[in-house]
Amino acid sequence: MDKASKKKLTDFLLNYGIYIVFFLMIVAIIITDPKFVSLNTFTTILTQSSTRCILALGVAGLIVLAGTDLSVGRMVGLGGVLAASLLQAPDFARRIYPNLPSSWGFIALVILGVVLLLALASTVSGVMVATLHMHPFIATLGMQLILYGVCSTYYNQIGGSPIGSLNENFKNIAQGKLIDLGANGSISYLLIYAIIAIGIMWFIWNKTRLGKNMFAVGGNSEAAEVSGVNVTKTIIMVFMMAGICYGFASVLELGRTGSATNNLGVNYELDAISACVVGGVSFNGGVGSIGGVVLGVLLLQVINYGLAFINVDPYLQYIVRGLIILVAVSIDMRKYVKKK
Amino acid sequence: MKMKMKKLLAAMLACAMLASFAACSSSEDKPAADNKPAETTEKTEDKKEETKKDDTTAAELPAIGVTIYKYDDNFMTYTRKAMENAAKDVAVLNLNDSQNDQTKQLEQIDVLINQGVKALIINLVDPSNAPVVAEKAKAANIPVVFVNKEYPEGTDKIDYDKCVYVGTTSEESGIIQGQLILDAWNANKETWDKNGDGKLQYVMLMGEVGHPDAEARTKYSIQTLNDNGVETQELANQSATWDTAKAKDLMDTWLVKFPTEIEAVICNNDGMAMGAIESLKGAGYFADGKYMPVFGVDALPEALDLIEAGEMAGTVLNDPLNQGKACVELAANYAAGKDPLEGTSWKLDETKAVRVPYQAITIDNLDVAREAYGN
Amino acid sequence: MGNYILEMTGIVKEFPGVKALDNAQLFLRPGTVHALMGENGAGKSTLMKCLFGIYKKDAGSIKVNGEEVEYEDPKQALDHGVSMVHQELNQVRQTRVADNIWLGRFPVKNGFIVDEHKMISETQKIFDDLAINVDPKEKVANLSVSQAQMVEIAKAVSYNAKIVVMDEPTSSLTEKEVEHLFRIINHLKEQGVGIIYISHKMEEILKISDDVTIMRDGKWIATERAEDLTTDKIIKLMVGRDLTNRFPPKTNQPGETILSVENLSTKFLPKVDNASFELKKGEILGIAGLMGSRRTELVETIFGIRTREGGSITLNGKEVQNKSAIDSINNGFALLTEERRQTGIFAGLSIRFNSIIANIKSYANQVGALNEGKMKTDTKWVIDSMRVKTPGEGTKIGSLSGGNQQKVILGRWLLTDPEILMLDEPTRGIDVGAKYEIYQLIIDLANKGKGVIVISSEMPELLGISDRILVMSNGKVAGIVNTAQTNQEEILALAAKYI
Repeated sequence: MDKASKKKLTDFLLNYGIYIVFFLMIVAIIITDPKFVSLNTFTTILTQSSTRCILALGVAGLIVLAGTDLSVGRMVGLGGVLAASLLQAPDFARRIYPNLPSSWGFIALVILGVVLLLALASTVSGVMVATLHMHPFIATLGMQLILYGVCSTYYNQIGGSPIGSLNENFKNIAQGKLIDLGANGSISYLLIYAIIAIGIMWFIWNKTRLGKNMFAVGGNSEAAEVSGVNVTKTIIMVFMMAGICYGFASVLELGRTGSATNNLGVNYELDAISACVVGGVSFNGGVGSIGGVVLGVLLLQVINYGLAFINVDPYLQYIVRGLIILVAVSIDMRKYVKKK
Repeated sequence: MKMKMKKLLAAMLACAMLASFAACSSSEDKPAADNKPAETTEKTEDKKEETKKDDTTAAELPAIGVTIYKYDDNFMTYTRKAMENAAKDVAVLNLNDSQNDQTKQLEQIDVLINQGVKALIINLVDPSNAPVVAEKAKAANIPVVFVNKEYPEGTDKIDYDKCVYVGTTSEESGIIQGQLILDAWNANKETWDKNGDGKLQYVMLMGEVGHPDAEARTKYSIQTLNDNGVETQELANQSATWDTAKAKDLMDTWLVKFPTEIEAVICNNDGMAMGAIESLKGAGYFADGKYMPVFGVDALPEALDLIEAGEMAGTVLNDPLNQGKACVELAANYAAGKDPLEGTSWKLDETKAVRVPYQAITIDNLDVAREAYGN
Repeated sequence: MGNYILEMTGIVKEFPGVKALDNAQLFLRPGTVHALMGENGAGKSTLMKCLFGIYKKDAGSIKVNGEEVEYEDPKQALDHGVSMVHQELNQVRQTRVADNIWLGRFPVKNGFIVDEHKMISETQKIFDDLAINVDPKEKVANLSVSQAQMVEIAKAVSYNAKIVVMDEPTSSLTEKEVEHLFRIINHLKEQGVGIIYISHKMEEILKISDDVTIMRDGKWIATERAEDLTTDKIIKLMVGRDLTNRFPPKTNQPGETILSVENLSTKFLPKVDNASFELKKGEILGIAGLMGSRRTELVETIFGIRTREGGSITLNGKEVQNKSAIDSINNGFALLTEERRQTGIFAGLSIRFNSIIANIKSYANQVGALNEGKMKTDTKWVIDSMRVKTPGEGTKIGSLSGGNQQKVILGRWLLTDPEILMLDEPTRGIDVGAKYEIYQLIIDLANKGKGVIVISSEMPELLGISDRILVMSNGKVAGIVNTAQTNQEEILALAAKYI
């Protein structure tokens, strides 16, 4: 092999290394259990990826800003617990608030309220990052603790046990099936919401000033500032956008699981952030694509699902997931740290 | 100019945070006050208890220091509430959340000792740390009641005469769950044994790997079945770390892999059972005659509702009411300088442990469980 | 005063502990180039940042077209017809050229959809007008430094501003591109645009500007017509004293060969190709070349921070490996890097830290604790022998002027007692007075028998202080000439040899 083609091969291996790793792992899973390859597997993975995808889309913008968000999971927790307490089935005997209505209008109101609340909480983080120049790691760490405290206090006040027996109409919003394929699974409503979210976020990222400004601020905030970009506003808007994503994801996750505790959503930020990293959103800021994020979510879910499918030891699963993140980040770093 | 802007923003920030707090607390308070008179009274009592520390009654009641391994554990939340109820007019509880951090717990214990509490109720983070706690208490001559997490060597092996344990044995929850499944299997073998091979094909949803309860429940539930002549086959066994959402994801996976093979779902706790049931419902179970027996442990109110609705086969009551009551009674006796068992119906076994029994809960004895949770 | 497009009077700006601007003033006539000159730290950039809304002035008046203005942020300045080419390349490197040009004013259609098509085509039109040959869809990261700079200039022009500020626009341009820039400037002049031009390059100033304002220590010193000025007169006004000569007398005597580099090549891009040369004791070897001729890469390869593919380095007759910077330092090499801000100084840390950091090993005792006394003595030595102007050794280096920062870093390397000093653009962004001092330091070093390599883009500088000049062209050594027997033309011819 001559030098040039050897170099090309190395470049290829490094650029697509993470996908090659995934490919090999998927092949290994299939060899271990050929039943993995089925329409049902496919639809289940798509459904399971849906809420994760919406969360990842939210946090991806913050990573493009060269930030991060540690409060994702607790946002979901607070939103989930709040919505669960308000959306119990009307005929359930131990309703927390027996006299609440259960109409479609009220369901919509609760969803909207949760989305607004989480958007507000995320905006507060954004204001701290943008105006006080607090590092997003710290701002969202603080927010995470506050949210968990608020959520747990509330959860404890209303009984401190899992809140279930949800309004069937509400559950149907999340668990409903658009197309029931019987033994082959189903195309779920969740998937549709995720696709809508992907569409909207793609549009914002690529077709609006906010999206363009977001990349500029993440890539070089000083350049953005002297070019007349309102950096403060951009940062706050991106945080708000993330909060809206968390809001919808939290009610969908609640609908999907059918019950909520104050521990709902714990560590979801890690899944979301890893998906972004695997999908090529750079922690250095200014780089990333919606397609990458979606791919990252799907690949991680394929692996999560696949490892459980072939009954891999849980300890080993942690190692695999850790390695995936390290490989993804080292490849990312290699792209931006110039070899000398 | 810039300074002013910053101050303004800081103020806005503070307002925004307050508003979000207010939004939560108002949504919780108003309906409760309007619609739930029973709980309202309870709440005012709670408040009274908090203020007690300052007023004169506090001086008369002995202070008991309590550390809970983590507040977001459902079962311990019930136990804690049971303690609070049992402590009314008996003692003032000084409660601490150890946040699943043994170091933090030891610090909290130091603080409690320095505050001069008369007795300690300790729900260890790491059970093997019992002697360390005992040593601290011994130095200050404060008696200790360990609860729910037992020193693996036995509480009698701890070098301190004023310490006892209140709880259950981890094995027992597994054994009771096994018996529960055994009875149900024997009664419904005709319909449950889908492939007619006489074996029970099951999937296991484990709690945190390495957690003593998770390990014991997983092991002894199956062992009890086998010891009683039921052959079993494990189709899959994965940890969902006690988590409902993760359990649902795993059950989704298994339903794809074993569309017809699974004959029972055994879960280390009710939270995971709830996730599994949600997943099963999505796949069309519990309707049109499609059924899957799901077993849990904890007897959470939500789980009891599911049993009542015929969507869960059974659970195991780890009696929080009596555990909480027992610790407070024992600790209060200790605080008064009396024998811990004086005037109570509890008995110590040979390892200085008060064993509050587990109970199998099915649709036939839901009341027992509901009572234990104060419903 | 008549017809001015911009009148800045009595501008005061204070930073904690420093009065950066003290009654500064500037009057700009439309259709002219107004050079703003002064040593580093004289307040030129600060004055412009006050105009552009990056800083808020504490006192004074700014009038644009006779109207009092106070821009809150750069956006307002841009909206009101003031644009600026910034000293540091302020670009979002991971996005496309067109995205950078339109940043902060993306054209939209239907209310909020960014008009991609318009963005690209308008960018192309701007580039066509200015005869800039850059693809609007190319990522900025893939441009050369000079291309990126031309894009910045095009961007500033594209605002159709009445006032264009250019802060060191030619710092990374080749001579050809500088001429191109001057054509653009003349075109703007014809349209009645007023241009404020900040540069350290005296020749440029005299060639392009109509008026010259000179500042010193934040104060206005003089404003003159360019035709009435000479280089010497400008320098005199800038430094406040006569500089009879821009270069100190050359007193060093090259001795025997101390370093020989043979057939040096690098493994990764950008490549150095088969470079060979020798350096004598007490010699100052200049390295000339155009942008992208890989002068920096050559010294970095010698210093071991770029991977070598082949070739050898021999120091005092013994071959050295220089596998890494640490290895090279131990072998007696020192490298003063080109980008002082990025790879030279630790801006937030003290002069002491910045002085001793490369030599930290020698302060550790047996248990690894650092010897405070020795560090203090050495820092004092750096401050004294390099003539660093600073309130004390605890001062943050970032608060010093560029020249003083450079002196500290030079001192840092001298503390490691190197035999070979490689100085990459040692006087970039440094004012004339400080340059003289740096030259003197370099000659002093050669006098002490060190081998000194100086990379510079300023031809007069190389001609003024070096003994021989090595000319790089496209990664290759195009030739080595004796300074005494060469001229700019010969060097430029060599620089173009392999292009």
